[in-house]
Amino acid sequence: MADLAQADIGHHDEHETTGIDNRKLGMWVFLSSEFLFFGALISNYLLFKGRDFGYTTIFPIELYDIPFTSISSFVLLMSSLTMVLAHDAWSTGDQNRTRTWLLATAMLGMVFIGGQVFEFTEFVLEGMTLTSNPAASGFFFLTGFHGAHVFLGIVMLLSLYGISRRSEGLTEKQGLNLELVGLYWHFVDIIWIVIFTIVYLIP
Amino acid sequence: MADQTHAPHPTPRLYVQIAILLAVLTAIEVGLFYLERNVGEVGPSLTVPALIILAIIKFVIVVGWYMHLRYEHRLLTRFFMVGMFAALALYGTVIVALLFSADIL
Repeated sequence: MADLAQADIGHHDEHETTGIDNRKLGMWVFLSSEFLFFGALISNYLLFKGRDFGYTTIFPIELYDIPFTSISSFVLLMSSLTMVLAHDAWSTGDQNRTRTWLLATAMLGMVFIGGQVFEFTEFVLEGMTLTSNPAASGFFFLTGFHGAHVFLGIVMLLSLYGISRRSEGLTEKQGLNLELVGLYWHFVDIIWIVIFTIVYLIP
Repeated sequence: MADQTHAPHPTPRLYVQIAILLAVLTAIEVGLFYLERNVGEVGPSLTVPALIILAIIKFVIVVGWYMHLRYEHRLLTRFFMVGMFAALALYGTVIVALLFSADIL
């Protein structure tokens, strides 16, 4: 009976009822719901991008700098590599390499955000603002919300970096947090893969 | 690390190879964009499907290998797919409906 009680306590400690940690399951469900969020913004942009509605202001497609955005996309793709290398380093118990790759991921994210701020500034200086026309609004909302997601990811990465600098580093328990942040970061990357193609490359 | 039931993850070497592949696919996308813009005769009828296919390939690679979904419990794949296909169905329907409704837009 005592063994049964002990087993029951152990079961609750694992935070699972499906064979998958509930927090991990929750993250995947959250990411799944994010498709609906970004789907709305992408649809909104697609509906308005080819229509002028009588506006004579500048449209996003006239201002895109494809070489610059391609480099930004490359930077974000490489941040996915550094993120996965951080997780791999943690799984092998190498705390130093984990810290290095976490910081590299955050830095690459910052470069991407910096590029987006530069792009937005250029567009505004050229005369395209949030209220210029429906296509411009759709563009700023879509890429702006994506940028906000990247910013949140950077905050989480830097928080993990701060925790990893403690003497014990990232413990087994915090390793799941690293995995969850990694999932979020890769998701932000795949959303950008879609945005880059649909918004920037498809005429 | 709570869920130890899945298969071993790829090695760092494979992660780097995947990153190189993703970079090459992105370069091909950009190349197609300029080919369509400058050469013209390739035509958007070929460029657009090619760009969409390349984006899908990149998407699947990141989800499968970097997010480790191909090594995870199938339940996670189902949850993920439900959201993705729900969004595609919902917004696909909305876009098609609105594009063919001249009175609305």
